[in-house]
Amino acid sequence: MKLAVVVQRYGQAISGGAELHARYIAEHLARHAEVDVLTTYASDYVTWRNEPGPARERINDIPVQRFHVQHERDLLAFSRQSAQVFQKPHSLVDELRWLDAEGPTSPALVNHIAAHAGLYDFWLFFSYRYYQSYHGARAAAGRAVLVPTAERDPAIGLALFQPLFRGVRALMYNSPEERVMIQAVSGNHDVPGVVVGIGSEVPRNPEPLRFRHKYDIHERFAIYVGRIDENKGCKELFEFFEGYLRDVYGRLSLVLVGQSLLPTPQHPRIRHLGFLSDTDKFDAMAAADLLIIPSYFESLSMVALEAWALGRPVLANGKCDVLKGQCLRSNAGLSYESYEEFLALIRSLEKNPGLGRALGENGRRFFREHYEWPVIEQKYLDVFERLKREPARSAVEPLPPWLARRRRNLPPGEEVMARLPRGAAATPTEEPAATGARP
Amino acid sequence: MADFNVRSDSVNVEQIMEQIRARIREKRGVDYTEQQIRELAAVKLEKFLDPRGVRSDLLNEFRRGDPDPNYAFEDDTIFRSTRGVVQFMRRMLAPVLKLFFNPNPLIHVLHMQSQINDLNAGRHQLYYELIHNLVVETTRLGIEVKNLRMRVESLDARVDFSERRARALEGAVMYRPQIEEEREVLRPSPIAPPERMARAPGSAGPATEIRSAPAVATASPGPGQGAESSGQRSKRRRRRRGRRGGLPAAAIMGLPAGSTQATTSPGPSAPPGASEPATETVAAPPSSDSEIETGASGHGSSTPSAASGPGGFDDEQ
Repeated sequence: MKLAVVVQRYGQAISGGAELHARYIAEHLARHAEVDVLTTYASDYVTWRNEPGPARERINDIPVQRFHVQHERDLLAFSRQSAQVFQKPHSLVDELRWLDAEGPTSPALVNHIAAHAGLYDFWLFFSYRYYQSYHGARAAAGRAVLVPTAERDPAIGLALFQPLFRGVRALMYNSPEERVMIQAVSGNHDVPGVVVGIGSEVPRNPEPLRFRHKYDIHERFAIYVGRIDENKGCKELFEFFEGYLRDVYGRLSLVLVGQSLLPTPQHPRIRHLGFLSDTDKFDAMAAADLLIIPSYFESLSMVALEAWALGRPVLANGKCDVLKGQCLRSNAGLSYESYEEFLALIRSLEKNPGLGRALGENGRRFFREHYEWPVIEQKYLDVFERLKREPARSAVEPLPPWLARRRRNLPPGEEVMARLPRGAAATPTEEPAATGARP
Repeated sequence: MADFNVRSDSVNVEQIMEQIRARIREKRGVDYTEQQIRELAAVKLEKFLDPRGVRSDLLNEFRRGDPDPNYAFEDDTIFRSTRGVVQFMRRMLAPVLKLFFNPNPLIHVLHMQSQINDLNAGRHQLYYELIHNLVVETTRLGIEVKNLRMRVESLDARVDFSERRARALEGAVMYRPQIEEEREVLRPSPIAPPERMARAPGSAGPATEIRSAPAVATASPGPGQGAESSGQRSKRRRRRRGRRGGLPAAAIMGLPAGSTQATTSPGPSAPPGASEPATETVAAPPSSDSEIETGASGHGSSTPSAASGPGGFDDEQ
């Protein structure tokens, strides 16, 4: 079997969610099939600037082919286009302009896909919202499999993506919430879709003591891992944790791991360690009492899965449906929706190590059953087998005629998003690997 | 909350969340959203505000009130007419009118008044907004104060508890050296070895005597022997019964005195000092030592052993 993975950026140094997801999937599917990666020269997700590098290379033994991005992102034009399509009634042409402004605009990549569509059994497109997925999936016709990595943001409400969700051969969802949202917005109930997610390379025996000695941290602590950014809910986390620190009975410190785009509060019990190697990161997570995920928007929290793999409980923002759903389904995490709840939950976890251990144990089991790599790989292989057996569906619906494309009758993206169903999917649980993709 | 073991299969995240939310609700009353606060401010003001200070139907009154009446008064209003000819004649004769009186100040004042009325109508809207915001803020503050009051009460209780605990701990620390001293005294005095030597293997007599001697001493620490309580009498009765029951098997088998004590010692819960002969001589109940340890010094000092020490008894004997 020959597979092509198409993603906006690719590389070992790129740690963005969808990009890392694509790399892990490519590397693991390479054990079962011949996998090629097609991507752009860009490595900066804000500007999509072409970076110097070879057109063809091998990364972790996977052949990677790169294509030029036609133009960098014009931030002003992009924000203007975003305001137009997210907040006002607009036309399909406006949405296409928005897609072009968002980037990475690489017609060369799309042309290559169109020219070589028959070379591969299936084309795996990552992140529905980018140029290469939208145009690439149309070019690959009946061989496109989409990994949408969709979050609850206004882009999901844009009309141009609805035919994409209906026209691909299959969708590999990250969570039941994502599936519900996409099915509600596009009505693609008849398109095969499986909740798969992603595994993680978690070491079997992390060494918490090594981390404590190395960073001179001897007290109990909660950990945050990821980009320290307001968009990730870190500002709220700081406010809440500073409130907790005022409690004289509280003993937990907060350790922050990751690149910081926000000033971190100056407090002896808040430590920012910066970017850590995987070894140190897993040691730190194993040493922590709990992991905090304050993000409002997640398609799947890999760091939560890693914490569960290490037997650590998670305290997540309950206003994010996906995180809340993950906590409920795994029975391994608690979710807060207000400062009071944050305080009560962190105190409970602090004062009842037994509760933390029990949650962590559930998390370990949840990870083992749903997110171990053999499980994930099998889910993908099952879907490919099924698609091979089934006749190819028609391709993505063509764009409407010239005049219809210019009619300003599409609702704002935010309005569409607001109408989508909310809430965490506590049940049904994600399909088990063996039966998940069976027809 | 104390540490406890939770079985992983018995954990139910939904249930935990429910419990936590219920506890928060209990603590702070009800969770109010912004919308609810606004509704409360509009509808249930009397619950939060002093009814004597602010009228609870203030907002409704504001909403109900009709806008103030006004009139349009321009410079030429007094000369206007529906009939053009009449209006023209009035304008023509205006200079003649001015020979009798000056209408200009009148026109000016009425015009100003009309403008003032307009301005006031606009200000009413601002007042309404201002008062509405004040009422919402007051409601919010009322809730906040209520929550803070509850929090202060809870903190007050915690501080009280901590103070009591600190006092108890201080008491324990204060008495500890004394107890140590007592323990020192409780250790066998130089006189003890001869007695121990007298307790030769196989001869149960001295051991029995040693045990009975403090019983007498225990009974007579006070000023009058005749004033002994029924408790003391029953203790003595129990001891006599013990003596009648014969010697412990270990003593009959000719084991050393220490071993004999092991059979009579209170059990594994007794502190190490309890197995020493001197401790046995005062026949202290096994719990008394631990009570002293935990700071119940009153008990310790009231017992004869703590008051004078076994050494004193030995001396007396």
